Amino acid sequence: MTSQQAFLSRSGALIFIIGKILRFTFFFLFLILLGSRTKVIVGYSLWQMIFFYVTFNVVDTSAQFFLREVYRFRSYIVSGTFDYTLSKPFSPLFRSLFGGSDLTDLLIFVVSILFVFIASKNLPHVNFFGVVEYIFLLLNAFVIALAFHITTLSLGVLTTEVDNTIMVYRDVTQMGRVPVDVYQNPLRSLITFAVPVGIMMTFPAKAFMGLLSPWFVILSLCLGGAFLYFSLRFWQFSLLRYSSASS
Amino acid sequence: MKKYYQIMKNTWDEMVTYRLNFSMWRFRNVLQLLTMYFLWYSVIPSNKSIFGYSHSLILTYILGTSILSSVVLSSRSYDIGDVINKGELSNFLLKPINFFYYLFAKDIGDKAMNIVFSFGELFLLFILLRPPFLIQTNPFYLVAFLIAICIAVILFFFFNLLLGFIGFWSPETWAPRFIFTILISFFAGGLFPLDILPAPIFALFKVIPLTYLLYFPLKIYLGQVQFVEIITGLIISTLWIFGMYKIIEAVWLKGLKVYTAQGM
Repeated sequence: MTSQQAFLSRSGALIFIIGKILRFTFFFLFLILLGSRTKVIVGYSLWQMIFFYVTFNVVDTSAQFFLREVYRFRSYIVSGTFDYTLSKPFSPLFRSLFGGSDLTDLLIFVVSILFVFIASKNLPHVNFFGVVEYIFLLLNAFVIALAFHITTLSLGVLTTEVDNTIMVYRDVTQMGRVPVDVYQNPLRSLITFAVPVGIMMTFPAKAFMGLLSPWFVILSLCLGGAFLYFSLRFWQFSLLRYSSASS
Repeated sequence: MKKYYQIMKNTWDEMVTYRLNFSMWRFRNVLQLLTMYFLWYSVIPSNKSIFGYSHSLILTYILGTSILSSVVLSSRSYDIGDVINKGELSNFLLKPINFFYYLFAKDIGDKAMNIVFSFGELFLLFILLRPPFLIQTNPFYLVAFLIAICIAVILFFFFNLLLGFIGFWSPETWAPRFIFTILISFFAGGLFPLDILPAPIFALFKVIPLTYLLYFPLKIYLGQVQFVEIITGLIISTLWIFGMYKIIEAVWLKGLKVYTAQGM
């Protein structure tokens, strides 16, 4: 339903799609420009850098595509529409997370998947286990993104503040456009484990290239599960304190 | 003049009132800066030069874009389209206040707040990262740099007006602004210094106005442009100001003819 609403203004949707394609292309060109002169950036070749970038886009756009309803959650809280959601015989969490998708992200998602295939053909030492780990870590990245969005919803219930939290999440994850090895410590450790941009964006690509220890794969999956568990607990906690401020 | 000073002051007070929003906005700017800073830090080692940039020059450029963005790209006039669509423009047409001066005064108030914060952020980053930073001491470059900034501020203001005027003909004003933001990030030199592009492409960039928003003033600050290039750049950007002024005037008059104060 909401994805249909997104296209009510067709010209607007078209402009947004063009904008997203441009954003994708510009950074892509920037990487190519860097790669043309430097050959290696923090030990990674151009194709590896491209693979990191398109993996970031796969995770980023899939989260935006499926979880766009979170961006609208504040208006539901302040207008009282959330009361209506709570009274319905289906999960308010599911409705608040997946109630609307953003089709404008679909094209970038498809293009990113396409580039994952193209870049993977140019990477050395790719094996079956690497591909399997990549898929699992991508799913894990989506789980972490989901956990973050649930936390945002919970904060929205408690404080009616959603927009800034979600935009900070977007900007922090943007740091994953390049491998986290680029950043210096303690920032690198911080965005690898505490704010798990590294686990979400860098680890899947590293696993694909055979550069990630299996222990880190297991650790990543455990952390993903833990993030989801605590976000669900926080959601329950916030619902118990929901005061229906608008009514 | 006094009333526009008051508008500036009100904008400042407004931003202080919504502190969380503003602080988050600045925090997001720092995150964006860190990505580019560390990427370039890794690309050009401290003892090497790539694309004609040494380690300290490129990091000065990246940190400089952060400060300059606060001066040039911060604005409160992004909602002109909404003002037109909601019919609120009628208030400005009836009151003894110039709509454009009003918007510019709001922009100045916004810029003042952003500049204060951006210096604070950079001070912290300097303490934490201790980046090599080039301090320009040549008075000629500093004066030319200030002139280029003034031109950039006016150019960006004119761009905002033009984008807002879309509101006269369409309720869809945010989508074009979204695209414009993305174009600026690339064409104004926010991602990288534009002269690392292949020469024929860079030659084309020299004639478009976006180049004069960030890249050109920063190149002057770095002292990497010759006297003739500075004068040529200042002339081209000034011509753009006059050209855009004429376009704005024409679009504004046409827009007023179709303006229906919808929503009032």
